[in-house]
Amino acid sequence: MTPGRRTQERSPLPSTYTPAPGHRFKVGDRVVIKRSFPPGHRRTPYYIRGKRGVIERICGAFPNPEELAYGFDGEPRKVLYRVRFAQNHVWPEYRGPAHDVIEMEIFEHWLEPASGSANPASPDELG
Amino acid sequence: MSDRAINKGPHDMGGERAGAIDTTDHGMKFWEKQANALRSTASAKRIVRVDELRRAAEDLGDQYYKLDYFERTTTALRTLLLEKGIITESELTAKMAEVRARFDVPSAPPSPVKKEAHR
Amino acid sequence: MSNSSFDYYANRQHGHDHAHDDHAPIAGQDEGPPSEYEIMSRAMQELLEEKGLITAEEVRRRMELFEEELPYRGSRVIARAWTDPAFKKRLLEDGKAACAEMGVNLEADRLIAVENTPDVHNVIVCTLCSCYPRSLLGMPPTWYKSSNYRSRVVFEPRAVLKEFGTVLPDHVTVRVHDSNADMRYVVIPMRPEGTEGWSGEQLAAIATRDTLVGVTVPRVRAKG
Repeated sequence: MTPGRRTQERSPLPSTYTPAPGHRFKVGDRVVIKRSFPPGHRRTPYYIRGKRGVIERICGAFPNPEELAYGFDGEPRKVLYRVRFAQNHVWPEYRGPAHDVIEMEIFEHWLEPASGSANPASPDELG
Repeated sequence: MSDRAINKGPHDMGGERAGAIDTTDHGMKFWEKQANALRSTASAKRIVRVDELRRAAEDLGDQYYKLDYFERTTTALRTLLLEKGIITESELTAKMAEVRARFDVPSAPPSPVKKEAHR
Repeated sequence: MSNSSFDYYANRQHGHDHAHDDHAPIAGQDEGPPSEYEIMSRAMQELLEEKGLITAEEVRRRMELFEEELPYRGSRVIARAWTDPAFKKRLLEDGKAACAEMGVNLEADRLIAVENTPDVHNVIVCTLCSCYPRSLLGMPPTWYKSSNYRSRVVFEPRAVLKEFGTVLPDHVTVRVHDSNADMRYVVIPMRPEGTEGWSGEQLAAIATRDTLVGVTVPRVRAKG
């Protein structure tokens, strides 16, 4: 079920995923995206800040783009997750059905644990 | 959102109201293919990083909207090559004059957008 | 010309005489006089060549790769996924590994494949720039890079899809993927009915770029 597990173990093929030692969140955890608006190069879209979602998968640990963007090496790496959000939570005026979702990649330092509140479809629901 | 968009870059456009989509592909001009291949080569060889190129494009501010995609990426590459000291401004000016002459273009067409974007 | 291995000026004249097909752009490409950006880009390339950092050959090869190889990879991968359930499972599990297995080297790209089903429709965007699975699909089409697409598809995907001629019933979940960091995405469309017994080549022909981004779905034209 967890993507990448097979190839993370032992595969000669290059993998989409990398190990994420010490990751703070796990698949299915409810999270909230930090509601913060610092200057600089950020890969967390503005529209998703402050929104609540559910961890869809763990992609691995990757160089931090907020450092790479200014010529530094991106170390230490940051754990990258995919997070699923309910569209009608992200956009209060959303016109489509309540089951529509949006997903994106969020680095761990932009995530905080969310207390059990309104949440989008669980990761398994969409297979 | 009702809050003031503090530090929101021109590139960060998800959720903005916008018009109908032209669903045809207009393709790429030859120079755009060259510019794309140059950028791709430069990042594959780690001369610049895509993250840096993105940042340089985002820093264009309002100019971002006035430039086409490959104009932005070309400007960003220029910014990075200067910033890293790989080329100098005078070298580039001289080389551009040489290239322009090869194209047999009378003179540099004045471009206020370009001039500002390259300050 | 300081470098004879790649005649930029000659190529500029004859740079768009490739065969037309589903991947070929529709609009004309009259070049006109060079813009300041063309001159700048060309000048930067020559300076980097002179400094020994790149060669004209490397740039020319990249150009060819983007033109002649990358745009055709995605359709092949999807055609295989349609005919080989075990491969499709591996593609969903790890996109980059599955492509490598087929000899498709995605270089630095990390790929997540997402599957359309009778209940779920996926669509890909990059709101922050134009992240796109270039190593699998080539360069993104004009609309993918446009402000209108990048702005709207996240908050009104159904309206945007309709503009592409794709109308989805309410019971189908629309799953939008904002490709905003290190992953790249490809949609595995549903294999249309009426394609039983088709060859990989025939299937690849209907797994077009737009279907792999998720703005359209594959269509079977009149039997033949």
